[in-house]
Amino acid sequence: MTESLITCERLEVGFDRRALLPPIDLEIRRGEVIVVVGHNGTGKTTFARTVLGLLPPIKGTVRRSKGLDMTYVPQAASLDSTVPLRVDELLGWGAIRGWAFLQPWKGRADRDLGRAALETLGVSHLAHRRIDELSGGQRQRILLARLLASDADIAVLDEPTAAMDGPATGATFAALRRLATEKGMTSIVVTHAIAAATSHVDRVVVFDPSGEGIVVATPKEIGESRRFHALFDGIHHHE
Amino acid sequence: MSDTPMSGSDVGLDDLAEIEATLPGHEVHDPTVSTIDGGPTWSEFADGWDLFSDAVWSATIAGAILGYLSVYVVLRRMVFVSAAITQAAGVGVALAFFVAIHLGFAIDPRVGATAASLAVAALVSRNWERAGLTREMVLGLLFALTSGLAVVIGSRISQEAHDVQAILFGTAVIVDPADFRALAIVSAIVMAIQLWWYRGFTFASFDPLTARVHRVPVALLDLVLLGSIALVVAQAASTLGALPAFALSTLPAIAARLLVTRGPLLATFIVAAVIGAGAGVVGYLIAFFWEMPVGASQTVVAGASVVVAVLIRALAVVTLRLIRGRTPAVP
Repeated sequence: MTESLITCERLEVGFDRRALLPPIDLEIRRGEVIVVVGHNGTGKTTFARTVLGLLPPIKGTVRRSKGLDMTYVPQAASLDSTVPLRVDELLGWGAIRGWAFLQPWKGRADRDLGRAALETLGVSHLAHRRIDELSGGQRQRILLARLLASDADIAVLDEPTAAMDGPATGATFAALRRLATEKGMTSIVVTHAIAAATSHVDRVVVFDPSGEGIVVATPKEIGESRRFHALFDGIHHHE
Repeated sequence: MSDTPMSGSDVGLDDLAEIEATLPGHEVHDPTVSTIDGGPTWSEFADGWDLFSDAVWSATIAGAILGYLSVYVVLRRMVFVSAAITQAAGVGVALAFFVAIHLGFAIDPRVGATAASLAVAALVSRNWERAGLTREMVLGLLFALTSGLAVVIGSRISQEAHDVQAILFGTAVIVDPADFRALAIVSAIVMAIQLWWYRGFTFASFDPLTARVHRVPVALLDLVLLGSIALVVAQAASTLGALPAFALSTLPAIAARLLVTRGPLLATFIVAAVIGAGAGVVGYLIAFFWEMPVGASQTVVAGASVVVAVLIRALAVVTLRLIRGRTPAVP
């Protein structure tokens, strides 16, 4: 049986003691690619941040296996354009864990890891560009490169393909699949890009508070359900 | 020269009068020596270097370190934090005088400034969400409270009002050696920590969510950063005055952000430090030769650096457009 990394038991997420969703039970295993889908405002990002430990659960528990190394890919828009940050510096942060910043001499090696990740994604020419010079799609690729360089056990990605075109979106999910297969990295992806994702993912978590509540299913089960087709059409139209 | 010559703590008003008599404004000028509007000359400045060197070095050090820290203040949108900390430093100094006069305890104004600044930094760095307060609300409260307290306490220490004014607005032409030493030691410690923990401070400041996920101690780094700002602002407020301390902890980063368009983030920090040091020294020299209040002069020079940076950037944009406009399109 594949190693369990995170277990959510009767987990309720939300703000100000108000749950956004019904309780969820979910076991997240090593090497899985899971997408979380739902309309805007249904609590996808809140769920992701609760799983990461950035927000406390309203009720229930999130149990993470000991020594679990997590990373986060925020929305590209969350990068502050007023900060004159260079791409290789942002990538260098990807390898910092805990108190590793106390070893400044490792900065160059960390930036080299980032540059190698940029090469893997075919965007090594961006290494010395500043974040404020990049398009939304380029920023998302940079954040993905940082994920590649991070060597984490589990990654939570918040709308990582929102500013990408169809082929780039497909390539991103294919890259996550490769990371899962080759390195055993687990990815939890909050996304609207269901069509591009389904062929690369293991499970789909659907947030549908006005209908089915929370449903965890395989892409095959989702594909066979008329109810979900209607819901996904709604999500597509909402994008 | 009518300026209070120092804002120091170890020198009393009698000593100040004695020192003031030695300042350039009190000297008989040699009409054969070139002067600026009849003010002090370079040779007088050079002759009095032993007297003025601490003030010049204080302006350089405070300008450089506050300029460096101003990058965090501006890019993290913490200008109000800097204002509240500076105001608190002023209150701390006034409180030290108040306690000495009315309660009979001699407290070094530097200690008062440091304690009040650190207290505000600690209050700002706390998460007040459980109390239903945002950081902006807490800052508004602290700024208003410290501003009011400065006036209230100031009204109760009228006999020391001249000293307090000097500290708040920075009219120092010479600096108490003890103030200079304290500023130099605090600045050296803060700068060492800043350079050593640079990657931690920048990661926690500019991508705090990912830093928290990576188990980087973001709250501690925030506390140390705010504490560093508070310590340097308190020393700078005691040495140069609260007004220039605030100006130097905000304006150099704005100028640097406009001027540095390439290179790593560290380049912005370095340029901001150079602008801060420059504003401190140039402001001092202008005040010396034109016989103006030093702190106000340093503040105006720091402000002028931003105006110059805006103009340089605008000129660069126009020049670039002209060059591109004349360049034939690539087929």
